[in-house]
Amino acid sequence: MPNVLTVRGLKKSYGTQVAVAGVDFDVRAGEVFALIGPNGAGKTTTLRIIATLLTATSGDIKFLDQDLCKDPDFVREKISYLPEEAGAYKDMKGLDYLRFMANFYARTAEEEKTFVDRAVAITELGDRLATKVGTYSKGMTRKLLLARSLMTKPTLAILDEPTSGLDVLNALEVREIVRRYVKEGTSVLLSSHNMLEIEFLSDRVALINKGLILDSGTPAELKDKHGAKNLEEVFRSSLR
Amino acid sequence: MKKFANLLKKEIKELVNKQLVFTLLFMVVFYNFIGQVSKKEIQKIVGVQTISALDEDGSGGSQALLKGLESARFKILDQSGKTKEQAIEAAKANDSKLLLVIPKGFGESLTAFKPSEIETYSFMRTFSIIGTRGQIVVDGVVSALNNALSNNFLKEKLPGFDPQAVKNPIKSKDFVVVRDHVAQGSATQVAGLMSQQSMLIPIVLMMIIIYSSQMVISAVAMEKQNKTLETLLTVPIKRTSIITAKMLAAGLVGLISAGVYMFAFKGFVGGMTGEVAKAGAQAGGGALMRQLGLTFNTTGYIVLGLALFLAILVALALAMILGVLAEDFRSAQTMIMPLIFLVMIPYFISLFADMNTLSLPAKILILVIPFSHPFLVSQNLYLGNWGMIAFGLGYMAVIFVVLTVIAARIFSTDKILTMKLRLGKKKPATV
Repeated sequence: MPNVLTVRGLKKSYGTQVAVAGVDFDVRAGEVFALIGPNGAGKTTTLRIIATLLTATSGDIKFLDQDLCKDPDFVREKISYLPEEAGAYKDMKGLDYLRFMANFYARTAEEEKTFVDRAVAITELGDRLATKVGTYSKGMTRKLLLARSLMTKPTLAILDEPTSGLDVLNALEVREIVRRYVKEGTSVLLSSHNMLEIEFLSDRVALINKGLILDSGTPAELKDKHGAKNLEEVFRSSLR
Repeated sequence: MKKFANLLKKEIKELVNKQLVFTLLFMVVFYNFIGQVSKKEIQKIVGVQTISALDEDGSGGSQALLKGLESARFKILDQSGKTKEQAIEAAKANDSKLLLVIPKGFGESLTAFKPSEIETYSFMRTFSIIGTRGQIVVDGVVSALNNALSNNFLKEKLPGFDPQAVKNPIKSKDFVVVRDHVAQGSATQVAGLMSQQSMLIPIVLMMIIIYSSQMVISAVAMEKQNKTLETLLTVPIKRTSIITAKMLAAGLVGLISAGVYMFAFKGFVGGMTGEVAKAGAQAGGGALMRQLGLTFNTTGYIVLGLALFLAILVALALAMILGVLAEDFRSAQTMIMPLIFLVMIPYFISLFADMNTLSLPAKILILVIPFSHPFLVSQNLYLGNWGMIAFGLGYMAVIFVVLTVIAARIFSTDKILTMKLRLGKKKPATV
């Protein structure tokens, strides 16, 4: 499988504080690649750089063989980013929010309708989409935002803690939606500190701590390599 | 363009919410109400008022005084035949504003050209200006009578002399010179008319700047507070379009809000002054201002409009930067303060000081503040200082470009997410 994203020697510092100390990884077409690690490991900073929100201090990032830093507008057309603590415009109705976001990506009215219809199907919110976002529960808002990030079938969906703050049932639904869209061709780069979620969702995993990647591979490879029963044990073993 | 229109529509919809519409409607109704109340009170002042008079003299002189008051739109309730105490009680009971007591011998003293006394008792039932009006008019009538009587005296004693020339041997004929225009009138009158004529400029400027800037700052701060900014920054639209859409929306809504405010304010002021009084004041003054070339022609209005427009653009660009510094809606409210100060300083200086007589440091301070220039432009237009006008407009344009470049730079870099003005504890950056 060709690489959608290639990251080499990525570093990011805020003054003297080093957030990312030099990471290398690839995301292949049609796979879910996960960055796992504790809070403050550098996951969000890495995702924000790839989402064109932050600029790297040094390193090389190629998206579809193009330099990500040189042409961020090209990248923004083909990716979608779901931040961990994302919100939607509270005074907008759910459906209006989806239309508003679809308008940025669609070239024609038909394409916009296709995007919105797809998003409506993902949310499964039905009539509630005709009400204001401010009245939604956290789970409903998260589904709306996930639908927003997947409705265009982006080449790369960057999902930061996609099930953060959701109850078990909502989290399960979100994972199923992500898997479904990967089958339809979208590549996913996600971050989480929920190792069980990662094991269910990801094709390949990178363990990150203090801005450095400790190990990477498929969950099965990593478990074999570290003689561990699950990714939590793999992570503990990698730290040693 | 489609994406920009989409964003602009969203920004305008966010700004024009129920709270804004309610606030503007309330303002119109409130100011109109206050204006109407003031109008009625003023009508009461200029309308017929009732006073009581106790004429103990009954001479031709006392009758002339009472007739003079009647011609000054007073309804006089005659208290003749009563004692002073009875007349006071009667006046109190019949809602008279004032009791005028003309003592015995008043007319005789007048004809003998001896000092004559009258007594007035003002009933202060209210401490508004209505309560003092009776006293003021009586003073006016007494003064007119004094004038007439002294004229008669002078005519009798100095036949062949004009009593006015005897009383006021020096007459002052005042002229005002502005550049190459000369007109008859007093400098005080011209200064008064000038301040009346340009009173609206600072008010309009302040209202638009405050409304629009607050909207821009809040628009950016709300994106941060609602956690929508990161998503917006990753959609395929140029960062400069995001800035422009926010500034344009705030500018438009701010302009409309300021327009509504001015309309409401006009209703309030209109009620206070009254259309008739305004027309009267403007008739004589307008001719004097025209003679002195102190009115704007079409070019003047265009230049003034351009100055106001540039000041608004500068405020919006500055507000955009301040909005980035705000962490949430609450802190956005305090971010508007530096902008308000920057507008207030030139406003007050233009009210109380003359730019030309200020010390050099104060002059530099004023010229550095971009919001000083619309005030200075209006003054310089009157005085024909086109060099200063061009400097002011150019300076504001440069400041706008610099601030916009800074705002665009902030929006295009990490700073949009990392730049914060924290007045409390420092939080570590999210990694």
